[in-house]
Order: sequence, then C-alpha cells, then structure tokens
Amino acid sequence: MNCLIFGYGYMGRIRYGSLRRHPAVRRISVVDPAPSEGSAAELNGSLLPSDAPIPWEDHEAAFICTPNNVTADLCVEALRRGRHVFCEKPPGRNWEDFSRIASAAEQAPGRTLAFGFNHRLHPSVQAAKALLEDGSLGEVLYLKGTYGKSGGARYRESWRNDPEISGGGILLDQGIHMLDLFQFFAGPLRVVDAVLADSFWKCGVEDNAFVLLKSEREAPAFLHSSATLWKHTFRIEIGCRDGYLVASGFLSKTGSYGREQLVIGKRQFEDEALALGNPREEIIHFDRDESWDREVSEFIAAIQQGRPPTHGQLEDARQAMRLVQEVYEISKQPAGARKGDFR
Amino acid sequence: MRTIQTGQTFPLSSVKPLERVSSLRELCLAATRRLLEKGGLPRAASPITGKPLRLQGEVGGLPYGLCVETDSLFLMRLARPEEWERLLEETGRFRHAPAGLKGDLSQSRADHVYAPKLDWIQETLTLQGIRKARILEAVTPPSQMSALLNESRSFAEIRTIGEMALAHEGGTREQGSAEAVVMLESLDRVDDPRGLLRGASNRLTEGGLLFVTALVASGFDLEVLGLRSRYLYPPDRTNCFSLRGLRQLLENEGFRMLEVSTPGVLDVQIVQAHLQADPALELSRFERQIAESDPETGAEFQSFLQRRALSSFARLVARKR
Repeated sequence: MNCLIFGYGYMGRIRYGSLRRHPAVRRISVVDPAPSEGSAAELNGSLLPSDAPIPWEDHEAAFICTPNNVTADLCVEALRRGRHVFCEKPPGRNWEDFSRIASAAEQAPGRTLAFGFNHRLHPSVQAAKALLEDGSLGEVLYLKGTYGKSGGARYRESWRNDPEISGGGILLDQGIHMLDLFQFFAGPLRVVDAVLADSFWKCGVEDNAFVLLKSEREAPAFLHSSATLWKHTFRIEIGCRDGYLVASGFLSKTGSYGREQLVIGKRQFEDEALALGNPREEIIHFDRDESWDREVSEFIAAIQQGRPPTHGQLEDARQAMRLVQEVYEISKQPAGARKGDFR
Repeated sequence: MRTIQTGQTFPLSSVKPLERVSSLRELCLAATRRLLEKGGLPRAASPITGKPLRLQGEVGGLPYGLCVETDSLFLMRLARPEEWERLLEETGRFRHAPAGLKGDLSQSRADHVYAPKLDWIQETLTLQGIRKARILEAVTPPSQMSALLNESRSFAEIRTIGEMALAHEGGTREQGSAEAVVMLESLDRVDDPRGLLRGASNRLTEGGLLFVTALVASGFDLEVLGLRSRYLYPPDRTNCFSLRGLRQLLENEGFRMLEVSTPGVLDVQIVQAHLQADPALELSRFERQIAESDPETGAEFQSFLQRRALSSFARLVARKR
C-alpha cells in the first residue's frame, strides 16, 4: 500500500514512523508546503517538492495531519478521489467542517475513513474497558476526567491557539480525546452545562473548559480540560456500582504525564475485614504504548478487509464534535438563559 | 509488560507471625535434615544458568549456594524425587496444622493471602481476553487456592496436579488443555524448577498463561537479612530466586513475560519483627533507620518497594510462546 501524509509536524512524524514499520506499506510520500528544517533529510526522498502536483493516483490512502483549517478540504478531496482517509482529530474546526467531511464520506462508499482518537488504544484505557465489559465492577455510575497541559513558552504562537486556524481552544485540541473516552466507557453523552475561560493565555480561545455531561443511562460525567495545568495531567476516574477504576499518566514521548497506570478498587462493606472507605486497590503500571502503531495497523487492516475500523469511526467523531459544538453554543448563552438539567 | 502494586495493608501477625513461622521452620528443617542425613544428592549448579553455585552459608546446618550471575540462592543438597515429594507432603502437613499457618490464621490468610490472588488471576485472564479458562494448579495438596478458584465459579474447570509429579512428568505434548497454570510458590519448593516449568508448558494451550508467585531474594527483607531470615528454610524455600533470576528462568523455558510485580506488603514488618526478636541483630544504620521508622514512613517505603519491584513477594504472569 502507498500512503500520502499531509503535514509533517508532530503528528505527521508519528504517523510516518508507524507507516514505515508496517509491513504492508510500500511507499510513503509526504506533502508539506512549509517543512521544518531537517525534514527533507529525515524523510530521505519521501518529501515531495512544494511545487509538485499531489500524486493522488499512485497512493491508496491519505493521512491528514495538518492544521485544522485545511483538514476538511483535504479529507473531502481525498475521499472525492477515492482514497482511504485517516484524519487526525479534531475532525475540522467546527461542526460545519465536520459535516462536509461526513457528506464526502457518504458519497464515497467503500472508502475507509478513520479519525485519530488513539487514546482509546492506550494500555490503561484498554485494560479499563476490558474490566468494565467483564461486568465484575457493575454499571458505570459516573465519570470524571482531567486532561491538561501547561502550554509552554511558545503557546501563543502555535496555530492550535489561533482561532482562525484551529476553530477552538484546549477543549477542541485535547479535551476532545477525553470526551471520546467518556463515550467509549459510557456510551453517547449530552452536555448539561459548561464553563469556558480564557483566563491566562488570552489567545481568544478557551484555555480552560469545565463541562458537565450525562449519559443516556443518566450517569453524570465531568471534564476539566486545561492549558493551565502547570503539571501535565491525564486522569480519568470511572465510578462503578461495585468498584472503581482510575487511569492516569500517559506513556508519552517526554514522559511528562507521569507513569501510565490503572488503579482497580473494589467496593467493600462494613462486614468485611478491611476498613470501610479504604478498600484494597491494585495498581497496574504499563511500560509500553503501542497505540500509534495499533491505530495505523487497524486502519490498514480495515482497508484490506473492506470493513469499518473498530474505532475512530465517523460516528465516534460525530459524537465528539457534537459535544464540542454543544459546549461552544452553551458557553455563548448568558447563564440565566441556559437550559441545563439541574436548573 | 506491566507491574502491579497493591494498596492492601495488613499486619504480619495476621498471616505469618514470626514466632509461628519460627516453629514451623524448626519442624521443616528437622524433616529436611533427617532426609538428607540418609545421603542426599549434591546440587552444584544453578538451575538458571547451569554454572557452579558458590557456597553462601548455611540455614539450620544445610548449605545454600549463590547463583552469582543472578543473585539467587539454592539449597545445595537435594534428594531423589520420590523422597523430596514425601518431604513436601510431610512439611505441608506441618503448614496446614492448627499450630502452623492455619487454625486461627485461616480466615485472615483467606482474606489477605488467597483472595487477592484470586482477584489477580481473574483480572489478568479478563485483561488477556480469556473467558471461562481451564485452570491447572500445581501444588502439594491440600490446596486452599483450588477451593477458592472452584467457589468463584469463574472458570470452566479447576484441576490440581502434584508439583513434584509435574516437575518430573517428562516427555512433551503437542498442546496441553489448560488456559492457565497456577504455581503458588511451587518453584520455591521443588527439586527441579526447570522441570516444573517444562511440565507447566506441556500442560498449557498455545498462548496459555502461567501464574507464578515466589519469595525472591532480591526483595528488601531478604536483601537485608539474607540467610538470617527465618522465612528462608528448606524445603519451602529450597530455591530462592532473585526477581531477575526468576524471569530469566521463565524466559529460558520459552515463556514471554506479561507481568513482573512485587506487590508484597510485609518486607518492612519482617525486618522489624526480626529486630524485635533479636535487638542485637546486625543491620546497617540505614536498615535500622527504616526498621525503626514511624508507621507512615514504613508504609511509604513499602509502597516504594512495591512500585519498583523491590519487595520480596513476587508475582509473575507469563505467556507460553
């Protein structure tokens, strides 16, 4: 299989690495109108000249790893040309961008379209999912998630925080992963209320989002997505009828999110030997993250087998983008005019 | 690969109090000496590397050797397999007697020792996508674990096999029928740990899981106490692997590690108990500082040992390649 990669930034590099390791991939061509210094040498001939036409016909699949403002255009074009498409999150800047991608997908039956929600494939998340499906912890009662970073010295210069290019702030950039995970664990959600703040970075997009949601089975969920968590944090708490799970830390390149782990706690009662409220916990530490490679492998397997991908489907992206859209709409309303469940 | 830490805490006295273990130890040592006085077979090479053992010292008059490459300890005298099996049966009866580790300790051992192991086995199988597993436990009967596994009704079948029988089963099978083999400290006891692993491998299906618990010489209390530890005696600890040695042994026998953990909760308490029993016990200043620390410091230190695979109670899960 021959693959095109659009954009050779942070995500483009990761996808390039995964594709190079995949045995079914024969050729990779990278399109980037403004490659960073050293990219050409790094790519060893795979970087197309900036004035060269895009060789659509020679490539079966396209990976869209670009800034958000061109994501939809490229997805639509690739689908129109009959290519399989892997699109990084978020799926566009806004609901309109997403809808264009969705329409193009409907008009390209038989083409595989997947979105990059790799967090579902992190080992702690996979383990939590397996334990929930096993049923021994009972139904999900609530979800609480915190996902945040500190921004960094060049935060204001990043396209991710330019509203014209990105379409949103930290919620759309990073919080969307947590919204996807909430739905992975609890099914479709709706937004009850939300508070957005641009309290520190003053980029014109939210640097903090507090979102209250509910599942179809009325389980509440709460997300704090932040660009002012001076200590990088990933933590999702899943409260269940008979216990709880807490996934935290992330095996990232820099290790700044801490050691990835899953805490498994079982509910206990007064008649049991251990102290009430301090149950025995097991903590699983993980030392390998294969989520990127697994995500690419799954996309390629879906193409080869002519089936939808197991995750990151159009519907998953639609659910996540719908929640982001709802949050942005709610946050524009004056507090007194909102119609949240608890007012 | 993964490692596991546990938030469980309980006092040493509720599962294996030093004074009770000391009595059991004397009975076991006497039985082992009686057997080996009749002759015995020398063991000069490490079962992990095959290289010569270096005499490390004696426990109750019985020599232990060090596998220099892995820092594991091995009893340097054994007996014929059928004699060793009888010894394990005899000393097993001591352990299961009311004056041993049963009687008034039964309930707390069920809560603190066996129930977490059941959770561990169940959760691991779930995470590996194995449902309704057929389980084989290698043990010198009776086994409290098999009863618990049966009661859980989580498995398709629970069978037991004598650990010595499995170690000396010989031959190879194309494919076994068990999705999981459980060996709770069996590798510590048998005369041929490699044979036991080969037997387990023969009984496992392709990709089947091996669950191993062991007392490891690389854990804190054994590093501090060494052969002075009253928890180290034959035949229960005929083999006292380091974590590295144990891992190497499993990998040499064709297993791929899924989990290497030391979720022990008793290292600090064990050193404290030895110090209490013998205030003149020779310890470094740092070791004494840890042993005499306040409960919060002790608990924090124990938690660190767990997280960093430095406790003496090891749990491993390996997959048959």
